[in-house]
Amino acid sequence: MYGYEITQKVKELTSDKIQLTEGALYPTLHALEADKLVTTEVEYIGKRMRKYYRLSQEGKVKTKEKVKEMSNFMESMVSLLDLKPKKS
Amino acid sequence: MYCLTDQEVDFILRDIIDRGIITEDLQYNLLDHICILIEQNLEQGLDFKECYFSVIKTFYKFELSEIEEETRILSSYKHHLVFNKKQFFSLVFGIFIGPFILYNILWIDLNWQSERWDIPREVWGASLAYALWPALIILVIFLTPEKLEPLIPKQSTIIIGIKPFIKIIPNF
Repeated sequence: MYGYEITQKVKELTSDKIQLTEGALYPTLHALEADKLVTTEVEYIGKRMRKYYRLSQEGKVKTKEKVKEMSNFMESMVSLLDLKPKKS
Repeated sequence: MYCLTDQEVDFILRDIIDRGIITEDLQYNLLDHICILIEQNLEQGLDFKECYFSVIKTFYKFELSEIEEETRILSSYKHHLVFNKKQFFSLVFGIFIGPFILYNILWIDLNWQSERWDIPREVWGASLAYALWPALIILVIFLTPEKLEPLIPKQSTIIIGIKPFIKIIPNF
């Protein structure tokens, strides 16, 4: 997927609740590429260059780790927020 | 679908560069993104420049170079140590002050049975010389109220690395 496509996908998946800004997206993609967590392919559209990003093998492993971390965190938050006040 | 001309694409690229986007990869990513948004808006019959300036405004809070700066910070993270304020002071204490306090305590412990109770000058002198200055810095920064503290705000991140050696990012 390329940058604009990623922002649209996030909007679509979250029903417009999360809007990824360009200021957050591109620096992150740049850092992920430098860390070899994504691979890129380039397509030229006239004078424009469109860069497609794909998770590398290393990136897929890292994603699993991060999703697991996030899931654990969310589980903790849910259990914390579900706490009912103790009856005295 | 409306397609931007080469001149219009050049205009956008030049403007992005003039606004402080130096990283080539970032220039082309932003260029493509902006072009897509403009092409969508131009289908509704708007003027190119008017459309461009309204689109570019949505990319930043104060100026476009924020994206360049963010890119550089993220890229340099792996070569830097990142601390919050508390961790930073613990590090300064651990390196500059802690060892001397420990040295003095050990000296007292080893010599408490001897007749000499006064710590010799070579012991306290070295401690004073090396640990006093960082100790004073820590005291001043901790005791200065946050609103009067220009040096390290409470919600800040301290990045230590080779280039720059120490960088402080407030409200990170």
